[in-house]
Amino acid sequence: MSGRTMNKSRLGALPWIAPAIIMIAVFVVWPAFEMIRTSFQNVGATGQSKGWAGFDNYHTLLQNPDLKNVLIRTFIWVVGVVFFTMIISLPVAQLLNANYPGRKVVRWSIIVPWAASLVMTSTAWKWILDAYYGVLNEIAIDLHLRKESIDWLADTKQSFIWLMVVAVFVSIPFTSFVILAGLSTIPNDIKEASHVDGATSWKSYRHITFPLLKPSLFVAAVINLINVFNSFPIIWVITQGGPGYETDTTTTLAYKISFRDQDVGQSAAMAAVNFVIILVFIGLFLKASKNQEQN
Amino acid sequence: MKKVTRVSALVATTALIASAFLGNSAKAADVVELKMVAADYANMQPFWDDLAAKFTKANPTIKVTVNVVSWETIDDKVKTLIATGQTPDVVNKGDYSAAAAEGLLYRADEMVSKKTLDDIVPTFLNNSKYNGVAYAVPDLASARALFYNKDILKKAGVTKLPTTWTELEKVLKQIKAKVPGVYPYALPLGPEEAQAEFSIWAGGNGGVTFKNGKWVINSKENVQTMTFLKKLTDQKLTQPNPAKCDRTACAQTLFAAGKAAFINGSVFLPGWLKDNGGAKINLGSGSFVAAPGKKPVTLGVQDYFTAYKANGHKAEITKWMDFIFEPTNYAAFLKAAGGFIPATKSAGANAAKDPALAPFIKLLPSAIFYPGDQAAWPAVKGAIQQQIGTALANPQKALDAIQAKAEAAK
Amino acid sequence: MSTQVLPKRHKRFTGKRVSLTISAWTMGFLFFAPYLQMILTALKSQEEITAIPSTYLPKKWAFSNFTGVWKEIPLATYLKSSFIISISATLIVIVIAIPAAYYVARNNFRGKKAFLLLVLVTQMFAPTALVVGIFREIVAFKLVDTYLALILIYAAFNMAFSIWILSSFFASIPKEVEEAAWIDGCSRFTTLTKIVLPLALPGLVTAFIFTFIAAWNEFVIALTLTSSPEHEPLTVGLTALIGQYQVQWNYLFAGSLIAIVPVVILFALIEKWLVGGLTAGSVK
Repeated sequence: MSGRTMNKSRLGALPWIAPAIIMIAVFVVWPAFEMIRTSFQNVGATGQSKGWAGFDNYHTLLQNPDLKNVLIRTFIWVVGVVFFTMIISLPVAQLLNANYPGRKVVRWSIIVPWAASLVMTSTAWKWILDAYYGVLNEIAIDLHLRKESIDWLADTKQSFIWLMVVAVFVSIPFTSFVILAGLSTIPNDIKEASHVDGATSWKSYRHITFPLLKPSLFVAAVINLINVFNSFPIIWVITQGGPGYETDTTTTLAYKISFRDQDVGQSAAMAAVNFVIILVFIGLFLKASKNQEQN
Repeated sequence: MKKVTRVSALVATTALIASAFLGNSAKAADVVELKMVAADYANMQPFWDDLAAKFTKANPTIKVTVNVVSWETIDDKVKTLIATGQTPDVVNKGDYSAAAAEGLLYRADEMVSKKTLDDIVPTFLNNSKYNGVAYAVPDLASARALFYNKDILKKAGVTKLPTTWTELEKVLKQIKAKVPGVYPYALPLGPEEAQAEFSIWAGGNGGVTFKNGKWVINSKENVQTMTFLKKLTDQKLTQPNPAKCDRTACAQTLFAAGKAAFINGSVFLPGWLKDNGGAKINLGSGSFVAAPGKKPVTLGVQDYFTAYKANGHKAEITKWMDFIFEPTNYAAFLKAAGGFIPATKSAGANAAKDPALAPFIKLLPSAIFYPGDQAAWPAVKGAIQQQIGTALANPQKALDAIQAKAEAAK
Repeated sequence: MSTQVLPKRHKRFTGKRVSLTISAWTMGFLFFAPYLQMILTALKSQEEITAIPSTYLPKKWAFSNFTGVWKEIPLATYLKSSFIISISATLIVIVIAIPAAYYVARNNFRGKKAFLLLVLVTQMFAPTALVVGIFREIVAFKLVDTYLALILIYAAFNMAFSIWILSSFFASIPKEVEEAAWIDGCSRFTTLTKIVLPLALPGLVTAFIFTFIAAWNEFVIALTLTSSPEHEPLTVGLTALIGQYQVQWNYLFAGSLIAIVPVVILFALIEKWLVGGLTAGSVK
């Protein structure tokens, strides 16, 4: 291969991409087929298959009276969390990139929510928000914002908002570091231009830096869409999707169907439906960003 | 050509690495390996490792590996193992009926020797049956009582312990009026252990979840029970939001902090309080309240050893199980698990002398148990955990929803 | 790698610089605050930890939680397992993703779209949903309860992000840079390692951190595929502190906090490369 221009035949691609394809095919695609197969089977409470079930699992799933609300909530969850994550991450990335004393320490502290496991971060938030021994109540009382403790998660709507806050909190570090990495691909002279004071600074950001960040923003948005959709620990640790099914998304619902209702087949059907939903989400996003590019 | 070589080199390298990793797991052919999965009562891995080592020393041809898994995850783990043909030989967890129904289990009399079986407390063994045959051996049990904070009751001027719902309601009102800042009753209907709170209240009203071959979760008695709990909550005689209040992190924590007067507590509550900041609580206990004119009950909960037929290690399993139930080993098991009621008569005789356990053992004859013999019980339990909290908004609707889940469960 | 030359014009303590510093520090604090709270909680004794009302600071500083947890569970073994698994998975990802991303960025070939879509689709599956299929496979490969099983699976599941981010970086490097190198007689391989990769270093670092953290914190697959304490990673090992009715919060918090330290150290070591030394603009 050495010294030649790149071989453009189709086989030419194989040595470069085959290892990735093999890994993905063996460890992701094949198990995915297994999952879809399971969704058409009647699986007993012990995990043993009792034979084919046709579309029974899907049928039962669609009859779930809570499914509709869960779907709507999932939509709000994904769009809301990803939107706020992206919006907040842009200035955060600028701050990570700017020059000031102690930048290293600020970078280290912002990596922490990403470095910590989601279960741990969610547990930390659950404690912060606790009605009886949570530190948020303590702060609110000490600042004389409130006279006595309240339950931040009492109302289901309010607790869902808190869940979204936590999800945005944990998504920002990853997103802003991707944007930060993207900032580095912008040539220095353009960067300098964006450091000009006053209104021009915003303008140069808007018209020069931002467009150049688009590839990074695109990758960050796609990965966030997927991760937020599949996000499980935040909801599970803080509310378990309850009371009832009132703070569930389809991801926690799939787990509950298996864990609480003991129905592995139906849970696989939910997982398959989840896959279709995220596929649609991403498809719409790809299309939207393509349209945007053409404009 | 080059490309092919490169790919095959990659394959070869992978194979080489794989074989290097695999090499470690080769075993001598004449040693039988028993695989056990055990729920974690309280950091039990050291206990099981130690016991397994002792066992292998006495029985060099049997090697036991015990995988200790948290209660949150053990059901999933065992299910995955069975689904993928990696069925363990012995499992220690909270249910058995679904596996018994699917014919995966050895009978109790195949699992342990007659001597061991005869030593099991008959009540507990009775609750280990499926279609009249015992398919599990109980490992330990717990029972519940009504615990109270003596200091709060004194402050409120309560002199007589309530035994009926009516009396309880009166006492709770008295506490609310006289001791501000305290929740009269800590009601945990959050998912962690909601089935226990529901069952003991329902039991006090003669209500059950399963009767005469049918699920009866939305029975008249149970709707009455939940309506009563709704009434308590609406009058602010409990902490706010019982639907999201879990047993440990919420109800017991409030009680430990001296913020709750009454609580439905299990046999291990006193020990838990000591470790979790409630050492100073002046603790009293009595039998749980019942509806007027109904008999008070306690809720008995037991866990199980089950043995799976898949690997055909019957003789080895029996040896291992008998070894676990040897008095010194079983005492060590109970100690590691921490403060439960023993499942054997011999250990029970000692436990009856233990002041912490004695009152509960006395309550056992009045105990009701979960319908653990029903294959659908795990699913019903899940539905209760999931939805019983919403009964405080609408008792009938929530119980109907759980009933529907129970009837649909496989 | 030469160090970044940043514009120095704001070196004076202008109002803007002060406000920039203050806002950056505030932001840093806000992101760290929940963990600070956790550290303070981890320094309380088990009796104090759920006291009502709680206090900001421990009444008795229980530093012993951070030493005791090593004895309560084999934390060192878990850390070792987590580290071996995560670093191996990350290296595999990097080694496999670089050529794929590079080729995709530089060539139009039939099936390119299909390949990129396949890569993206793999990212869409929640591993939780695939765990039964994965386990069957691992049984077939006789890899149950081995590091290798987790390494391969984590590598496969995190391949997508790395390929995407790296190819977007490779694509942003002007072709002329490489062509110049070829003219100088560099082989393709040398061009890739000596010219292209250094230019794409921020992307490489991002991919590295992403994969490492994802592998480090994975729980469900590790729980299913491991069965002995020697092979369990930290996430699974810590669950031993969650008993049926007693959670050892003090140790659980201490252990979880200790788990963050290696990741932050790793990050501190490679953070300086997040901002490219030779940005694309240096060559025109």
